[in-house]
Amino acid sequence: MSDFSSLAELVINGNYNGAKDFTQKLIDSGADPIEIINQGLMAGMDVVGVRFKAGDMFVPEVMMSAKAMSTGIELLKPLIADSDMPSAGKVLIGTVKGDLHDIGKKLVVMMLESAGFDVVDLGVDIDPDAFVNAVKEHSPQVIGLSALLTTTMLSMKDTIEALKEEGLRDQVKVIIGGAPISQSFADEIGADGYASDAGTATELCRNLIA
Amino acid sequence: MRKIRSNSIEQTTPFLRWVSEGQIEEIHFATLEVLERTGVVVDHPEALQLLKDAGCIVNDHRVRIPSWLVEECLRLAPRKIVVANRKGQRVMPLEKNRTYFGTGSDLPFTVDLETGKRRRSTKRDVELACRVMDYLPNYDFVMSYAIASDTSSKVSDLHQLEAMVTNTIKPMIVTAHDEINMRAQLEMAALVAGGREELRKNPFMILYSEPISPLTHTNDGVGKMFACFEYGVPVVYTPGILSGATTPVTKAGTIVLMNAEALAGVVMAQLKQKGAPIIIGGGATPMDMRTTATLYGSPEAMMNYAIMTQLSQFYGIPNFTEAGCVNAPIPDAQAGMEAGNGILMAQLMGANLVHDVGYLEGGKTGSLTFLTMCNDYIDNARYMGRGTRIDEETMAVDVIDEVGPGGNYVSHEHTYKNFREEIWTSKQFNTSFWEVWEEQGSKSMEARAEELAKHIVATHNSELLDDTIQQGLNEIIAETDQKKASTRRKNKDA
Repeated sequence: MSDFSSLAELVINGNYNGAKDFTQKLIDSGADPIEIINQGLMAGMDVVGVRFKAGDMFVPEVMMSAKAMSTGIELLKPLIADSDMPSAGKVLIGTVKGDLHDIGKKLVVMMLESAGFDVVDLGVDIDPDAFVNAVKEHSPQVIGLSALLTTTMLSMKDTIEALKEEGLRDQVKVIIGGAPISQSFADEIGADGYASDAGTATELCRNLIA
Repeated sequence: MRKIRSNSIEQTTPFLRWVSEGQIEEIHFATLEVLERTGVVVDHPEALQLLKDAGCIVNDHRVRIPSWLVEECLRLAPRKIVVANRKGQRVMPLEKNRTYFGTGSDLPFTVDLETGKRRRSTKRDVELACRVMDYLPNYDFVMSYAIASDTSSKVSDLHQLEAMVTNTIKPMIVTAHDEINMRAQLEMAALVAGGREELRKNPFMILYSEPISPLTHTNDGVGKMFACFEYGVPVVYTPGILSGATTPVTKAGTIVLMNAEALAGVVMAQLKQKGAPIIIGGGATPMDMRTTATLYGSPEAMMNYAIMTQLSQFYGIPNFTEAGCVNAPIPDAQAGMEAGNGILMAQLMGANLVHDVGYLEGGKTGSLTFLTMCNDYIDNARYMGRGTRIDEETMAVDVIDEVGPGGNYVSHEHTYKNFREEIWTSKQFNTSFWEVWEEQGSKSMEARAEELAKHIVATHNSELLDDTIQQGLNEIIAETDQKKASTRRKNKDA
């Protein structure tokens, strides 16, 4: 077994202490930091993604694997220029104005991060202007809007309108989710996509960025 | 002379306890520890001030509640809350061991009774569900069932109340977008009851408001609750959670956290107004670790509700729980098992308000067919809940002697007299022999229930509201809609 696949295995098993030590060992032995990420840490997460989708791994196990990956990445970050950092893409996410429910969005954030996305989480009760400003600041490829309450669903539309008014709509893909949301609602308000759960949201982001 | 027994215990109804009294106390003390050590976040200014004045340690919005204060407020909360129907009849006393069933609120999707297709819910769905529950005898209260998503979203909750109150006389539990809409609903309720004083005397409405787990009490959630207390309207203040995501994954940890959230609500309620009618409990559902779905029909949820019901009986505060809400997307065998288990458990435990009955797909999709099926499940559970009668008449020693070895009982008067009480007859379950069942069209229980639901919708109407009241309700809705539109404009201009 190569050193990289041993590291990947530690990630798959969610062994974050092991992954940290092993990453350090690879750094000390002079391995290329970007290769450690791509062939070790991310390679492990790719397997985790496949197994999760097949129902062979469960959310808490995915979280632990993601933690193992990020302990490794923390060690590698200082060794890599920001612009060279491998990333699946940048996603900005928030729960829309009027809604304080958080868990669905948190799950999406964690699943996206575990799939190698760079995620900016704005939090809850985010009004359209705050989304617009954040898009200007972070230039994400995708923004995700979350709502649990049906009363706040319309705030999703307001946010999309605000992006249009600022001329930003063409620069980002907008995806939406939450218990009362459906594909037909996404079509109605002109969103680029809808995901029913965190796993699907990750796939959706991959497809939209690809 | 009647033969009596002395120094003997008779038990009419089954006696179900999930854990011991000692374990209930253990959960209680753990809950007090959470409130005193970790505390809660409160985003309602008045509540924050009340808590501070009562002796809580308040840092910014974080409130640590001392144990003595929780226990004092538990003593103040009423053990009995009587809920009336629309006509002011006191039909639903919430007291220990009395169990009532009803639907939940705000389903985003409905399986259309005519087309069989799943679509967004509308106000018409609220109306139809209320008429169906008005007719079916085992539903004791209603909630909105569906979201009136085809009405102005600013006041869709008011439209839901209007649809409910015009289509059933049964007691109801409402939801509200915010405090403004809550106050509008309270005015609507006062209008229906015949004035604020009548509403206070015999409230026919309960509010369902929520803390957000973990340990967060929002400005809207508390504000709506406080508004109801001003009108003497009872409040369910309970969280809906996901074990393993918003609470610990362990069942006991879930119960402790939810109990802490509910008891923080009890404290705020009693500080706002001594004796404020508050109802505790909540939806203690785990997260599916494969799909992240909320597992409503799960064994864990039912096990949690058993303990939470015991807790409410220990505190002497009415509780709000859930059953008959399933993860099956269609009313199939899985749905029957999920609903049947939960309904039976709730009945045998003696939970008070059992909501969400008749919901599919983890509480996202409604079906009047399934709602109608659940009426029979409740009937069955209530039958078992009544227990086994043991006395001279039912032990039938004289009859056994009279019939003797080799005789039969079918023609005996004892059978004639007792069979209706001693053998449960379902309205919709298939119990025919195969050939007869075929002759009658080989219908599944689902098909029979669908027919009944269609029949109810076509023929049953609730007692009508007075025209002037109806007009008044519409006026309040229109006024609130306008008020909200103008505040929205103001916000935008500012």
